[in-house]
Amino acid sequence: MIKHTMDRRDFLRVLGISGAAATLAGCGNTAIESGVEEVMSYVHPQDFVVPGIGVFYASTCTQCGSGCGIMGKVREGRVLKLEGNPESGISGGKICGLGQAAVQAHYNPDRLHTPMLNMDGGLVPISWDRASQILDERLGAKSSLQGDQIAFLSGGMSGHQRVLLENFLDSYGSKQHVCYDALSDATGRAATKAVLGTEQPLWDLSKSRLILSFGSDFLGNGVSPVYMAREFAKFRKAPRGTLIQIEPRMTLTGGNADRWYPIKPGTEGILALGIAHDLLQHPEFSGSVPQEVLDLVKNYDRETVSDITGIGADSVRLIAAQLWNNSPSLVVAGPAVYGHAYGFSNMAAVQLLNIILGNRGKTLQGQAEHPFPQMTPTPGTYRALAELTQKMQSGQCQALLITGTNPVFTSPSQLAFSEAMKKVPFKVAMVTHLDETAGQCDLVLPLLSAMEDFGTHVADYQPEGVEVLIQQPLMEKLYPDTRGFGDILLDVLRKRKADYAAFPDYYSYLKAAVVKAKPVFQSEESDDRFWETALMKGVIKWQGKTTALEAKLGALEVPNPRELSTDYPFYFIPSIRPDMRDGRHAHLPWLQESPETMTTIVWDSWVEIHPKTAAEMQIKEGDVLVLQSATGSIQAKAYLFPGIQPDTVSMPLGQGHTQMGRYATGVGANPYKIMDAVFDAHTGELALHATRVAIRKTGDNQMVVKDEGPTNVQHGQKLVATLSADQARLSQEI
Amino acid sequence: MSYAKTLLLWFLMLWMGATTVWAEPFVQGGPIGSQTSDGYNALGPVVEQPIEFPHNRHAGDMKINCMYCHTYARRSNVSGIPRLDKCMGCHNLLPQVRDKPRIKKLFEYWDNKQPVPWKKVHDLPDFVRFNHERHIQRFYFQEKRPVREVCGYCHGDIASMTTARRVKALSMGWCVSCHEKDHLEKVGSSVTSHGPNDCWLCHK
Repeated sequence: MIKHTMDRRDFLRVLGISGAAATLAGCGNTAIESGVEEVMSYVHPQDFVVPGIGVFYASTCTQCGSGCGIMGKVREGRVLKLEGNPESGISGGKICGLGQAAVQAHYNPDRLHTPMLNMDGGLVPISWDRASQILDERLGAKSSLQGDQIAFLSGGMSGHQRVLLENFLDSYGSKQHVCYDALSDATGRAATKAVLGTEQPLWDLSKSRLILSFGSDFLGNGVSPVYMAREFAKFRKAPRGTLIQIEPRMTLTGGNADRWYPIKPGTEGILALGIAHDLLQHPEFSGSVPQEVLDLVKNYDRETVSDITGIGADSVRLIAAQLWNNSPSLVVAGPAVYGHAYGFSNMAAVQLLNIILGNRGKTLQGQAEHPFPQMTPTPGTYRALAELTQKMQSGQCQALLITGTNPVFTSPSQLAFSEAMKKVPFKVAMVTHLDETAGQCDLVLPLLSAMEDFGTHVADYQPEGVEVLIQQPLMEKLYPDTRGFGDILLDVLRKRKADYAAFPDYYSYLKAAVVKAKPVFQSEESDDRFWETALMKGVIKWQGKTTALEAKLGALEVPNPRELSTDYPFYFIPSIRPDMRDGRHAHLPWLQESPETMTTIVWDSWVEIHPKTAAEMQIKEGDVLVLQSATGSIQAKAYLFPGIQPDTVSMPLGQGHTQMGRYATGVGANPYKIMDAVFDAHTGELALHATRVAIRKTGDNQMVVKDEGPTNVQHGQKLVATLSADQARLSQEI
Repeated sequence: MSYAKTLLLWFLMLWMGATTVWAEPFVQGGPIGSQTSDGYNALGPVVEQPIEFPHNRHAGDMKINCMYCHTYARRSNVSGIPRLDKCMGCHNLLPQVRDKPRIKKLFEYWDNKQPVPWKKVHDLPDFVRFNHERHIQRFYFQEKRPVREVCGYCHGDIASMTTARRVKALSMGWCVSCHEKDHLEKVGSSVTSHGPNDCWLCHK
């Protein structure tokens, strides 16, 4: 929480005397000047460069893994704004707020400018010559590192960066490319694969007449939100599709739903079995599943399900009837379903509905196979990080390279990753900002920003065939001592493997690699032309065929919800903000000051609590609460939120940084640090929604800074007239 | 907030205010020697440039159109400083002046592929958007007035100077005084109109 030393009244008092015009003085040149500023001419520019007029270059957004094609408006050699690239099937010429903020990551005043070396417990700036010398000594041709002694820890990574990284590890004989994602959906993917035969099927939202979503925030932070938002708009065109959302805490997608049901966290699988039970009463559906499934669901009649889930028996009947009436439908699920100890079973139960409803081949398709599997994204998992931590603890890991992930901030405290890092003799971080993990490394190398570097990417979710996405610099680098990720790896690799001597930089490597792939794309252009077209369009497309989905119902098990205890009487749901994600974007003030979509709160962390629960506990908005889990405790202000299940409290992820620049530090608290050590039984993934907490008031009350006025209060003005659900015609639809 | 802090802030704000209250500093008249060609007390200082570029030689003696070098003026907000290879396009073919000190300097910049660090002479505040293209398209291309006159509305008679000097006020009142005048729409026509006076045209 930020403590303000100057209040609004003080500020206005001072401002009133000096006059509002005085504040303009801070905005650069405010007078007519002569001979003060320098004005540089171009020396030998391209003919299309006109000062004052922007030129657009195609590239790829790297703010999340969706792989949206973007175009950067460049004027006088500076990138000013990003737009969507219409050539890209994923972005379709659109871009989200998170993508827009990439410009701010590039111009961020807290970017790392120079290499840093840990000397006597603190990081000090060093020259690149010194950094290269250290890299050469530790990792170069004479390095004694062998096999899995060296590990590379990264976030989700795809394209030629992944290929180069794995070749780099290969030069030591190591297979330790560890991918860690703090918001891993590995459990959901594993269960989907077990039931449907593929990890990430394609959803056809626009063809569906009804979408039943179990906590999937596909409009906010799902697998490809920009694409999904476009498809959702088509889905809402006449004949308008219906969206039913079931989740413990209302997400952006939930806010857009026609019906929203708050469910007891973790009982989504049971509800899915209950709906399946209802559907299988119809002779049309009962033949779609084998006898063992009928036996499995037979115990889950409406009343039983209603008792477990907290959703009324009538509602269960209504949802099943809606599904029965609106075909084709689509059933999707998100982290609220698979973030539990039995997340796998929960997810499998949800996918069972898709099979019963016959959605395979209609609204669900298998993705096209990628012609370059070595370039496909490596899904990050918690389990990989846990295994690496064990190796670090036992001293097996002698050198650790880290990029694109910040486990010191995002791993739960019980993993003790930070302590394990101390046992690794040589740790190198490659970052644009000095984050918590980089702060504990021996050598920190400053990377080019996404607006300055070359790269290729492959999206996890490829809606239209297969795309290889090209990332190219939109401007010259801002700081001379920053280097590209590929360039740093190649510098070391050239000394270890002779066949890399042909590539003086990552650009030449990338160009050679892309051009080599030309035959697959059946292009008849010359090599240079093929490369130039790729840069111009920002994407290379390949018309793959969608694959068929399977129906394997052997994976079905009954989910076993974890009950609340008297010590910890609340479910704790960490919510994922579409902009902050796991906290990697907390250093961008545009995102910090964007009101969070459901609460409109800015620059803070808060605890969402149901107004009824709050009334029982005499909690009002702004009361500072302590959330105590079995693992630890954090503090945040209370926010009364009707869009939450009454036994549940929720906090957004992403805040609570101790390092990562002026905008990220000192704001809010980090919920990762109170996660209980609960893991999915099948995949070993950390169960993000399985923590239970107790709430304690500190007695302190602070203002919650938000855009909206008081919730639920209309000051007697009847701004929005309401009527009870029984009076509404909606309940008599069926 | 402590007393000392408040005092410091007041002082800071007052000082900032004092530097900005001259939003409309130039009036007609004023002391002798400080006057612009149209009588405002706003004559700019003599600005020393890295190369003493002789506008009088190029635009005056040789009658080269301003837009031959300032080529962006007709298609962009800014007229732009001419690109260096533009200078070289001619001077590579002019060995007779190759040894003049100013040309030697020019070649030095070109050989090092360095831009010339010119000093900006006509610099408006950051909150003003002046659009060269609009003015050039209207007065030069539509009305077919002489280029020396059209550019001279704001820049004065550059063709009689070596390096440029500000000889017009360029203040808001000065801009408005021209926008308020009735201009003939075409040479020889009797139809007149005046420039737009919406705030947002210049202050976006």
